[in-house]
Amino acid sequence: MKLEHLIVIFVIIILPISLILTSYVQNQVTTLQLQTSYDSKLTTATHDALKAFQLNTVNSSTSDLANSKMRDIEASVNTFFNSVATNFNMAGYNQDVLKYYVPALVYTMYDGFYIYSPFTNTLSPDDYIEGTSTYQNGEKVSGLKPYIFYSCRYIKGSDTDVVITYSLDNYITVQGTVKGQTVFRYGYLLDNVGNYNSSNNTITYRGITIGEETLTEYIGQNEQATYVKVNGVKYYLDSDGSWYSLLNGEKLPQGTTYNTINDSGVRYYREAKEFTQWVQDNLGDLRTSDAVFEDGEKTKQFQNEEGTSVTQTLTEREQWGDMLIFSRQDDTGNTGKSIEDPNSNFNQHRLQVIRYSIEKNLSIAIANYNKYDEGITTNFQMPELKEDEWEKILNNVSIISFLQGLSIGGKIYNGYSIVTNTKTEEVVNTDSIYIVTSDGQYHRATDLDLVGASNITGAYFNVDFERKSVTTDTGVTYYYPHKETGCYTSIVNQSNVEDLNSDKSTQNQYGNSIYAYIANKGGTLAQYYFTALGRERYSMYKTNNNPELLKVNFTV
Amino acid sequence: MGDTLIVVVVIILGAIILFVFPLMTMSDNTDDITQLTVETAVTEFVDDIRTTGRLSMDKYSGLVETLSSTGNTYDIEMQVQVLDENPGKKTTQAEATKIGENVYYTMYTSQILDTINPSSGVTKTLALKEGDIFSVSVKNTNTTLSQQLKSFLYSVTGNDTYVIGAEHGGIVTANGSGN
Repeated sequence: MKLEHLIVIFVIIILPISLILTSYVQNQVTTLQLQTSYDSKLTTATHDALKAFQLNTVNSSTSDLANSKMRDIEASVNTFFNSVATNFNMAGYNQDVLKYYVPALVYTMYDGFYIYSPFTNTLSPDDYIEGTSTYQNGEKVSGLKPYIFYSCRYIKGSDTDVVITYSLDNYITVQGTVKGQTVFRYGYLLDNVGNYNSSNNTITYRGITIGEETLTEYIGQNEQATYVKVNGVKYYLDSDGSWYSLLNGEKLPQGTTYNTINDSGVRYYREAKEFTQWVQDNLGDLRTSDAVFEDGEKTKQFQNEEGTSVTQTLTEREQWGDMLIFSRQDDTGNTGKSIEDPNSNFNQHRLQVIRYSIEKNLSIAIANYNKYDEGITTNFQMPELKEDEWEKILNNVSIISFLQGLSIGGKIYNGYSIVTNTKTEEVVNTDSIYIVTSDGQYHRATDLDLVGASNITGAYFNVDFERKSVTTDTGVTYYYPHKETGCYTSIVNQSNVEDLNSDKSTQNQYGNSIYAYIANKGGTLAQYYFTALGRERYSMYKTNNNPELLKVNFTV
Repeated sequence: MGDTLIVVVVIILGAIILFVFPLMTMSDNTDDITQLTVETAVTEFVDDIRTTGRLSMDKYSGLVETLSSTGNTYDIEMQVQVLDENPGKKTTQAEATKIGENVYYTMYTSQILDTINPSSGVTKTLALKEGDIFSVSVKNTNTTLSQQLKSFLYSVTGNDTYVIGAEHGGIVTANGSGN
């Protein structure tokens, strides 16, 4: 055979192979590029939704209330869909089309969460008229499903059967029968609280004295007012001596006269001490293994991976381990951990319950979604979230979004995104207290410059440093309740802060606990920080509170 | 005489088609696959930083290792745009009807590396906050085999050409120094 023939045969064989290979690899590259760009766009859309939620809640005086909150969430959902439509070049498509690709949106809140997903509308025949009502019975609609609490049921012996609702901090609600008594108690769990001194209304926490204070903030560009915050509402003292609250910029006169001296901080520690004592006396022997399924069943049958059926308790199924939940002591004696420390049994179990609650309801919502798709043939699956992502969800108010079913060349896109909300009145985190110094700046509490500083003048909730707007006849005006600007080394960038998350040996002495860190540093920093943390937690809105009873404590 | 010339030409052509052409296709393929690896590595790195708000030497070394495992050398450019809300706040305080603009100031690769370089055995992290923007761009600096062959055949090479490159960036969604 001639060389020419060899070459021709070679080219005939190699050319198609190389062409196919090149286009295959090119396809893979495009798919990957699309996937990463979709991931980014989804995060952007989720971030937009969160910003909308943040903006609406920070500027609304009623955002704590359930129906107002749901309205804000629905507005945020609309923002999400609009953002998805524009980012994904699907402008013009509305929510009705896009919702086929979004099996669920999760809004995690202080003591529970909302899921936005399709459901079957169920109406009783008395509530609607066939054919004329806006919504029909059995109709498939997309919307917010009822609020789901982070709760778990425990049965111990024959006389204790309680549901404990956890929250993003150390606040719990206990409902049910404890030692034969019907109870409904709620409060904060806190160790290390010292004795209350009734003569000057002070209490100690980790050796730091917490006392009364008088609070002022700006309520417009230049007007300052003394205020008291009760159950999420601030009451301001007017120049004529009367009190009023602000409802979206409008003054609402109050008939009552409040005390300008505020002891919310002291009350937080006092009540927490009492409640913690009660929990330890009555539920101190409660173990994670006492947890039962929602319907009260101790064990259920499950299929394991080999296909054989096994009988497991909730604790075994979720691998929670067996530990005392509320006791200061573990089985080997005292561990030296306080209940509020991040690594305490209580906090570990709290995170387990929250995670179980979200995971279970979310996977049901996504699995059910397959029943609702019309025209979309994707089989929706719950993606597996990573440990560090759970970490974020379990400690912050956040939005989790899912987007599935879009074709990206070689495969079908299945992505999710988690964005946390750090500027919210929903929860007072340990890092949402900012410290104000006399040089007109606010600092993160872990700012190293604050250690031993003598110029600290106050500590406030981070939301109070955000811009607020008031609409009047002349237009919209903006103001900041606290005019201080952010410190460049702890707020703008964080180059000079103690890093409690790091595993450095110097930080391990605090066990990642900001409580231990602040107490160790002591001084005015600790005093202002602990007082502000207590005050803000005590005065935030909670559904369990009875505002009328609470107000009595703050009136003259 | 004419036949001999044709045979020589055919042998040269044959050599090119039999050796250089497959070599070029294969090296092109290698570059494509390298591109895939680089893009994945960069995206994962950036998204990790964006969702945790923490940049450490460990994470950076991880990226460098993955990149160098492809057998090429790369130029890694990082950029952090730090959000500064203070100027905006001051504008609003001066005039109540105005929303001030937020300002970003930028940190580049060498400054970022200075911040995260461990000093005297202590590891350091660069903590970012919600609203900051982090981006990374990676280009190859060596000449890959496919580039060499191409420049040998139709010399289009210049100093700036690169065949493997990836860029990714976005808003940071978590506070790095949270507690």
